[in-house]
Amino acid sequence: MRILIAEDSTLFREGLARLLVEAGHEIVASVGDARALIEAVAEHRPEFAIIDVRMPPTMTTDGARAARQIRSTHPDLPILLLSQHVETRQSLSLVATGSFGYLLKDRVLRVDDFLDAIRRVANGGSALDPEVVAALLASSRPDGLLNALSPREQEVLALVAEGRSNAAIAENLVVAERTVETHMRSIFQKLRITDSGDNNRRVLAVLATLSNSPATTIDDHK
Amino acid sequence: MAANVPSLMRPAAVLPPLVFVVGCAVQVALAFGSPHVRSPAAAVGQAILVGIPVVIGCLLGARAPGTPVGPALSWVGAAPAGVFAIEGWGATAVTAHPWPAAHVVATIEPGVWVWSLAGFVALCLVFPDGLLPGRRWRALAWCAAAAGVFVNAAVALVSFEQVGGRPRPALAAIAFASFGGLLVVLCSAVASIVVRYRRGNTIVRQQMRWLILGAGTVPVLLAAGWVAEFLGASIGFAYAGFIIAMVIFVPASIAVAVLRYDLYDVDRLLGSTIAWLLTSLASAAVFTALVFGATEAIGANSPLSLIGATFVAAIILLPLHRSISNVVGRLVDHERTVILARVQAFVRQVRDGEVEPETTEALMRSVLADPGLRLLVRPPGDPAGSYVDLGGHAVTVPSGATRVPLMTGTTEVGVVVLGAPTARRIRRARDVALQARLPIEVSRLRIELRAALEDAQSSRARLGLATAAERHRLAQDLHDGAQQQIIAVGMRLRSVQRALNPGQRAYDDLEAAVIALAGTVADLRRLAHGVRPSRLEDGLAAALVALVADSPVPVKVTVANVETTEVIATTVYFVVAEALTNALKHAHATAIQVDVERRGERICLEISDDGIGGARTGFGLTSVRDRISSVGGELSLVSTAGAGTLIKVRI
Repeated sequence: MRILIAEDSTLFREGLARLLVEAGHEIVASVGDARALIEAVAEHRPEFAIIDVRMPPTMTTDGARAARQIRSTHPDLPILLLSQHVETRQSLSLVATGSFGYLLKDRVLRVDDFLDAIRRVANGGSALDPEVVAALLASSRPDGLLNALSPREQEVLALVAEGRSNAAIAENLVVAERTVETHMRSIFQKLRITDSGDNNRRVLAVLATLSNSPATTIDDHK
Repeated sequence: MAANVPSLMRPAAVLPPLVFVVGCAVQVALAFGSPHVRSPAAAVGQAILVGIPVVIGCLLGARAPGTPVGPALSWVGAAPAGVFAIEGWGATAVTAHPWPAAHVVATIEPGVWVWSLAGFVALCLVFPDGLLPGRRWRALAWCAAAAGVFVNAAVALVSFEQVGGRPRPALAAIAFASFGGLLVVLCSAVASIVVRYRRGNTIVRQQMRWLILGAGTVPVLLAAGWVAEFLGASIGFAYAGFIIAMVIFVPASIAVAVLRYDLYDVDRLLGSTIAWLLTSLASAAVFTALVFGATEAIGANSPLSLIGATFVAAIILLPLHRSISNVVGRLVDHERTVILARVQAFVRQVRDGEVEPETTEALMRSVLADPGLRLLVRPPGDPAGSYVDLGGHAVTVPSGATRVPLMTGTTEVGVVVLGAPTARRIRRARDVALQARLPIEVSRLRIELRAALEDAQSSRARLGLATAAERHRLAQDLHDGAQQQIIAVGMRLRSVQRALNPGQRAYDDLEAAVIALAGTVADLRRLAHGVRPSRLEDGLAAALVALVADSPVPVKVTVANVETTEVIATTVYFVVAEALTNALKHAHATAIQVDVERRGERICLEISDDGIGGARTGFGLTSVRDRISSVGGELSLVSTAGAGTLIKVRI
């Protein structure tokens, strides 16, 4: 894949580029700030963008904001956000759009998982860090929807929200895939989500339910 | 035009000095001339004495040409001068060298003394504003003139008849009647002063008090003269004071009354004069009574009784004077007494905490009847000339304003700026400011205290801000610096690892190293989170929800839409974290509720639990309290044993 990296730390950028190249990807551009990122997307037309949330010029959430902008100008470009810590204010609206991932930076060290996440996002799926999912679940409206789930179902839901397939979930929980299927049906029923059968769309439906029902008003139009 | 005529040239102003000059000339001629009826010394002395009112009257007439008070005062001296001249002239009739027409003059001479009073009556009628007290008083002027004529004529007739023996009864009756009329006129003249005083405004009263002050010395010095004469002093010495009072003090006080009645606080002058006079009299009476009583009792004039009487008189002198001054002050200077009494009552109220000292300005405005008055104080340490009102707001004093400085030692601590300054009000303001020193000083100190508190608060807020910024920076440094570097190193190790085969010892070592690095990064993230909760970047609500998500007991969080600053959000976050820890660790709570909302300008935070209660301010709460007060907030704790704990925080 032709990948664009937007990351202001040279050390991290070079390390990441090396990992990706070794994994068989091509780095079409490496940029260090939000403006260069937007220009590079227009110029190089990458197939995948890895973007650091925190970047110049303001060193706050410029990367996430640029990602939102890119999502509106280039809706088909898969985006993977990287961050040192969880921040959902700017990226919440992207969570349920598909072809989107949000991982903490140190997940890069689990190279296989990381490459797998890139693959999922590139295929229109989702890859959310467990911490991001935890934040999503925590800020979900406490109206009883989630409370109705059993602890096991909540575990399964978290893994679904991370963007994993049923097989991956089964492996993770060390259960049979059919058991996961049973849990899923129960979850969808309780959350009043129509099960479409397609893995990606299921994940997105779950994320839409979670991200659209925050307990607090989060102003993200800045 | 009358207005253009110099005042000294007007007939009314010129006549008295003219009469005085002519009279003195005649006196001098009689003293030094051929029929030697007077001694030169007496003539000159008399001329000088009666000349003083004439001179003062002329000066007054020149300074205040519009009023007849000057000429009237001149007549006080000029009339006796004329009378003395006529008497001397008449007296030459019985000498060897009679003056021309001396017999005619001698005929009217016996009663001519009555005209000496003309100046006094005129002065009574026109003082202090130059107008008669009323229309009816014009008749009194004519009656006075008629009474003078009648008395003069009656006395002349009586003395003429007397040459041949007893006067006829009819003539005696006429003489009595005319004297009665004169007495009535004199009493009416004095009554006109009383009437005028009672009807007069403050200025007229003030002017009249000057006259009372001047005239009041006359009987006192007369009495002193009697005492001196009784004690054996020469008559000239004994009555010198009395005469000086007559010819100098009275005219001088009249001149002051007309020209500069506002020169000194006559009310106080008069009040204290009378008070001291009465005090002296009273203590003299006590002294005399004691000496007399002791002498009677012991039977001998012992020095012991004298010493005892002196001692007692000295002891009672001050309290006596104080109570007499109070009474006299109330009578003579009613206004000042009332004002000071109000101020004293106010000071008492301030001391008892019934009114705020900051209302001193309103009080001063009210008692001085000056709504434009400002009471300003100088904040300590500020440059001279900068003032604040009692509310602490800076005020610039207009350059032309009349100010009464308030001094402590030699430093000016404040100023009273008068809206409608008069000399009288300035004096009153000084008195009032002196009386109200305590509330003014208290207000000033409170302004100082408030400023200091605000200083402390803002410096604490700045410190809080700086600390928050520092934490933010530290957290960012951890994220951007250490974490990134470790991950970068980890990625390099992964690259190296790719070249190796799984199962090799180096491969496994690298695997372990990378896992350790990942753990270190997670540790660093937790560390940075403790320094500054990164979830706060999603807003306070999200951060609190995330905070309570790990709680083993249900925590209900209600966060109204509050926009806060970084510092306050961090504070609230840590307070909630600490309170949760306490509730779980010490209170054994099974349900916790956290509410955050904005009330007006403040953020209100309430954390309640259903635990065992009985919490006291310990170390945990102390650090929470410090954190809250560093952003200008306050914490209250309700924790009765067995009834849970409620922590309320307002920031």
